[in-house]
Amino acid sequence: MIAGLLGRLAPAGGPATEAQAPARRRLAFLFMGIGIVALLVIGGLTTPSFLTLENLLVVIRAASITGIIAIGMSYITISGNLFALSAEELAILAACVFAFLMRDDYGLAVSLIATLIFAAGSGAIQGGVISLGGDPIITTLAFGALFRGIASLVSDNKNILLGTKAAEWLGTGRPLGVPTQSWAFVILTLVAWFVLQRTRFGRQLLLIGANRPAARASGLRVGQASIVAMTLFGVCCGMAGISAAAQFGLAVANLFSGLTIDVVAAVLVGGIPLKGGQGSPVQAALGAVFIALLQNFMLLHSFTTGWRMFVIGSLVALATIGFHLLQKRQA
Amino acid sequence: MNSRETFTDLAIRAALMVAVYVVFAAMLPSYHTVRGAAALLDGGVLIGLTALGIGITMIAGEFDLSVGSLAAVIGVLTVNLIIAGMSIIPAIAIAVAVACAFGALQGFVIAVTGINSLVFTIGTLIGLRGFAMIISNENSVTIPIPRLGETDFLAQRVFGLLSPLSILLFAVFFVTHLFLRYTVWGREIFATGGGRAEARAAGVSIIRPMVISFALSGTLAGLAGAVSSVRLGSATPLGFDTLLLSAVTACLIGGIALEGGKGTVLGILIGLFTMRFLVGGVASLGAPYWLQSLAIGALLIFVLIVQLSSTLIRDRATGSALLELAPP
Amino acid sequence: MDDDPLVLRVSGLTKSYGSVAALKGVEFGLRRGEVMALLGENGAGKSTLVKILAGLEHPDAGQIEIDGRPARLRSPSQSLQAGVAYVTQELSIISALSVAENICLGGRSQNPIWTASSLAQRVKPYLELVGLGDVDPATTAGKLSVAQRQLVEIARLLSRDAKILILDEPTAALSDVEIGKVTSVVTKLAKEGRSIIYVTHRLGEVFEIGDRVTIFRNGVSFEPIAVKGLSVDTLIERLLGRRLEQMFPARASKFGEVVLSIHDLVAPGLSHPVSLELRAGEILGLAGQLGSGANAIVRAVAGVAPPTAGSIRLRGQRLNPRDMRDAIRSGVAYCSDDRKRDGIFAVRKLTENLTAPSIDKITVAGLINRRRESEMSRRLAEFFEINLSRLGSQAGKLSGGNQQKVALGKWLGIEPSILLVEEPTRGVDVGARAEIYRHLRKLADQGLAIIFASSDNQEVLGLADTVATFFRGQIVRVSPATQMEHSSLLRDVTHPENLAAGREAA
Repeated sequence: MIAGLLGRLAPAGGPATEAQAPARRRLAFLFMGIGIVALLVIGGLTTPSFLTLENLLVVIRAASITGIIAIGMSYITISGNLFALSAEELAILAACVFAFLMRDDYGLAVSLIATLIFAAGSGAIQGGVISLGGDPIITTLAFGALFRGIASLVSDNKNILLGTKAAEWLGTGRPLGVPTQSWAFVILTLVAWFVLQRTRFGRQLLLIGANRPAARASGLRVGQASIVAMTLFGVCCGMAGISAAAQFGLAVANLFSGLTIDVVAAVLVGGIPLKGGQGSPVQAALGAVFIALLQNFMLLHSFTTGWRMFVIGSLVALATIGFHLLQKRQA
Repeated sequence: MNSRETFTDLAIRAALMVAVYVVFAAMLPSYHTVRGAAALLDGGVLIGLTALGIGITMIAGEFDLSVGSLAAVIGVLTVNLIIAGMSIIPAIAIAVAVACAFGALQGFVIAVTGINSLVFTIGTLIGLRGFAMIISNENSVTIPIPRLGETDFLAQRVFGLLSPLSILLFAVFFVTHLFLRYTVWGREIFATGGGRAEARAAGVSIIRPMVISFALSGTLAGLAGAVSSVRLGSATPLGFDTLLLSAVTACLIGGIALEGGKGTVLGILIGLFTMRFLVGGVASLGAPYWLQSLAIGALLIFVLIVQLSSTLIRDRATGSALLELAPP
Repeated sequence: MDDDPLVLRVSGLTKSYGSVAALKGVEFGLRRGEVMALLGENGAGKSTLVKILAGLEHPDAGQIEIDGRPARLRSPSQSLQAGVAYVTQELSIISALSVAENICLGGRSQNPIWTASSLAQRVKPYLELVGLGDVDPATTAGKLSVAQRQLVEIARLLSRDAKILILDEPTAALSDVEIGKVTSVVTKLAKEGRSIIYVTHRLGEVFEIGDRVTIFRNGVSFEPIAVKGLSVDTLIERLLGRRLEQMFPARASKFGEVVLSIHDLVAPGLSHPVSLELRAGEILGLAGQLGSGANAIVRAVAGVAPPTAGSIRLRGQRLNPRDMRDAIRSGVAYCSDDRKRDGIFAVRKLTENLTAPSIDKITVAGLINRRRESEMSRRLAEFFEINLSRLGSQAGKLSGGNQQKVALGKWLGIEPSILLVEEPTRGVDVGARAEIYRHLRKLADQGLAIIFASSDNQEVLGLADTVATFFRGQIVRVSPATQMEHSSLLRDVTHPENLAAGREAA
C-alpha cells in the first residue's frame, strides 16, 4: 500500500510533490503551543481544579502512556511506514507477560528485562515482514489480531494478578513528585529527538522516509531501518504495558481500549506528515499532551464520553485537513 | 487482469473457501444441515455489506476507516426512530439515507481537499463513535418489547435457507457488481484507483468517483448497522468495534488490492464466506472468543505471505524492483 | 492565407516552476486546418505550453482564445469541453483497465451503460486507424507494449472528436511503420479541417506533415516558418542557434588506462550482446531514443538491472553488483534519469542530500559529525557551483538545474571510479546545463570515467569524447565524437541503415 497510498498523498491534481516547508513543523509547534496555553488559560479561568498540581499530574500521567507509544509510532511514520496498528495489542500482551513473570516470582529486574526483550522481538518480527515487502498496514493489523488472540489465550481472559507490590512504584510512584511514567515519557522524548537529529541511524531514517527509492539508490539499508524502527516501537509498547500492569497490579486481555487510535491521533494532531521524511518525535509528544489536556478539560466540565470522543474526532479531522491545506499552499 | 486471469484468480479463492468449508463440515454436523448453513449465511450479512462498502473505497485507491463507527451510529439512529414511533422499514430507509449523505460528504471533502482518506477517516472514526454515544445517551437502545414482533419478518426463511437478510446481501452484491462492471461511473472508480493522475489527465473528474465510492461505503455500512440492530432488537453505541478489521480481512482475502484499481465484487463475497466459515467453525467448535481473533490474524498473515511470494517472484523476473523503475 | 481566422491564439503566456521560468510570455497562433510543428530542445517550453492547453497546468499569466473567445482551461475535462484533445509525453493509460475502457474514459459518453461489446464496437474504428486493428479491445492495457500504449493514446485522441488536437512526441516509442500510420492519420485530420499541434524531435516528421513550424528556445517562441521551401540546414541552424560553441567545454585529448571493459553483455533492454571499453578521463555518450537500450548498459553496470550474460570488469576486477549498495562499494556511482523519483530527497536540506551516500564518512561513533558534514557539503557544492547560501534549503525548492547538480554532486563523496548518468540535463535550463557539462568535464580530467545515456543528440555530440549509438536494443556504431556528424547520429538512432557495423565495435 505504500506505493499506492503514498502516491495518493500528492494533492489530486497538483504537480508532483515538491518540498513541504519546515513551516509545517513550525506551524504544528505553534498550533500545539498556542493550543496548550489556551487550554491552560481557559481551563484555569473556568474550572477551579484545573490548574492544580494534582490535576496536572493526572493529565501528565494519562498523556504518558499514549505518549510513550506515540514516540515509537512517530519513528514509524517518519520512516515512511505509515502506522503500526498493533500498538494496543502488543501493549496488552507485554502487560500479560510481565504480570506472569512477576506472579511467578522472577523478580522485578528479570521480569522487566524479559518483557522488554519480548516486546522488542515482537516489533522486530513485524519489521522483518515489512522489510521483505509486506504492507505495513496489513502486517501490523495481522500481528495485532495475533497478539490479541495470544493474550487472551495466556490470560484465559481472566485477570493475571502480579501478586506482589514490588512493581508498584513503576505504576504509581512519584519520584520527585512526578509520576514514573512521566519521567519515562519525557526522557524517551528527549532521547528519541536526539537520536533522530544527531545519530547516523536517525539520519538514515529521515532519508528513507523522505524518499525510499533515493535512499536505496544512495546505498542505505532500507529494510534494516524498518526492522529497527519497529523494534523500538515494540519496546515502547512494552513500556506502556508494563506501566499499566504495574499501576493496576494486574493484567487482563482488555487492559487497554482504543489505545492505537489515541496514539495515531496524537501523531496526527502533532502534525507529523504521513508521507514521512519530516517531523520530530516532540510533535507526537506534544500531540499526546494536548489531547490529554483537552480530555481532562472536558472531563472537568462534565462532558459525557460521547461528547469527548466527538470533540477529539473533530479535532483530528480538522487538524489533518488544516495541515494538508497548508502543505498544498506551500507547494 | 483480463477475464481469463480474473476467472482463474477467483476460482482459486473459491477453492480455498470450499476447502475451509469442507474441513469444518467434517468436524461439525451443523455445517451439513440446512439450518446451520442458513445461520452461516445470516451471520455474514453484517460483515459482508460493510466489506463491500470498504472494498469499493479500496478499489478507488482510498480507505474508509469510519465504517464501523458509522454502522454503530446508524444502528442507534434506526432504533431511536423506531422508538419514536416510526415503523421498521421507513426507519431503516431514513437512517440509511443519512448514512449515504454522510458518506457522500466525506467523499466530497476528501476529493476536494485531496487529503489522504486514511488520515481523514481516522478523525471521522473517532468523531462518529462519539456521536453514537451522544444520540444513544451512552446506553444501549432497545426496541420496545411490544413492537419487537414487527421484526419477526426478518427471521422468515425461504427454502429454509435464505432469510430476508441473506437475500438482501446477495441482492446488494449483485446490483453493486452490475454497477461497478457495467456503468461508466463504476469504471471511473476503477480508474481513480488504478491511476489517479492518468485518470485525471484522461479527463475524468475525480470528484464524482470519490463521492460515489464513499457514499456507497457509507450507505452499506449504514445498512449493515441498521439491519443488524433491528434484527437484534437493540443497538449499542460501542458496538461493531471489530467490524472494520473483519471487513478489511474479507476484502483482502477476496483479492482487493490495496493499491487500488483491482478487485471484484464476487471476490469480496468469496473472501467474506471464507472468513465466515473459518470463524464460525472455530466458534462452533466451542473454542473461546479470542481464538477467532487468532484465526483472523492467521488469515491475514496468509494473505501477506501470498502477496510477498508473488512480489518476490515477479521481482526476480525483472531487476527493476530495486529502484522501482519501469522496464527499460 | 493570412486572413484565415486563428482557431487558437495564445498571448503573453507565462509559467514558472519555482524559480525556473518555463514560459516567458509566449505568443502563439494556430490556424484552422493546419499542422503546426513545435520544435525545440528539452526544457525550451514546448511541453509546458502543451500541458497548459491540456488543462494539466495553470499559467501564471497570459490569455488563451479559442475561436476568438477566451477559454478557461483549468482542468483536463474543461479542455476537452473546449474542444482540445491531447496526447502528452507521459502516458496516461490506466493499466488495470481494458484498452476500450481507456479509450472511452473521460470522453463524452452518451450511454452510461458500458458493456465490453458496446465499447469494443465504439473503439474498433479508432484502433484500426492507428494500426491496432488486431488488438482485442478487451485486453488489459497493462499488457500492452509501450508502443502499443502510445497508439492507444492516439486512438483515444481520435475518439474525442476535438477541433484542436495536440500531440506531444507521439512517436517516441514507435517503429517506422507505426510512425507512418500516425502521420497519415494526422494529415487526414488536417484535411478534414481539424487543427493540430505536433511536438517532435524528429525533423523528418516536420517536413513530412507540417504546414508551419514554431521553434521554442528558453521559454520563448519564434515566428512560425512555413515548411514549404524550408531546407533542413536552415531549420537546424534556426534550431541550434549559435550557442552550440559556448555550451560545451573542450574535449579531452588523451586518456588513461582502461577503467571499464564490458564484454558480450546481455541485459534487459538489449537485443544483442554489447562490448565496450572506457578509459580514465574519457566521457562516453550513449545516444538513443526511448527503448533503444542505451540506458540498459548504464543500468547493468550500476546494479539496477543485472545482466544475464557477459562480463563487466572495473579496473580489472570482475564487477557483479547484486544491488546498489554493492555497486557503490565497488566505486560505481549511478544517477538515474528521474531525480524526483530517486535522485534527491526533496524535503531534506542540501547538506543532507549531498552527504547521503557517504553517511559513513561523516559519522563518528554513531553520531553525525556536524563539522565533517559541513565540510563535505561545502566542498561538493563549491565544485558544482551551487550557491553556498542554499545549503540549508530544502532540495525540492531549488531550480531544476541546482537539483540536478545535487543529484550528481552527491556522488563525489564516495570517490567513485566511474560515474553513470541517465539524461544528465533533463529539465535543466541552459545556463545550468553549461555548468554541468563543465563540471563533468572537470571530473573526467581528474581521472573519473563517465558514461552518460541521453536522448538529446546534441548533448551527446557536444559533451562526449566517444559516442555509441543505439537502436532497438543494439549498438549501431561506436565512434569518436569528432568523427560523427549530427545528421548521421540522428539517422543512427531513428532509422539506421547498417546495423551489423556497430556490433564489431570495441
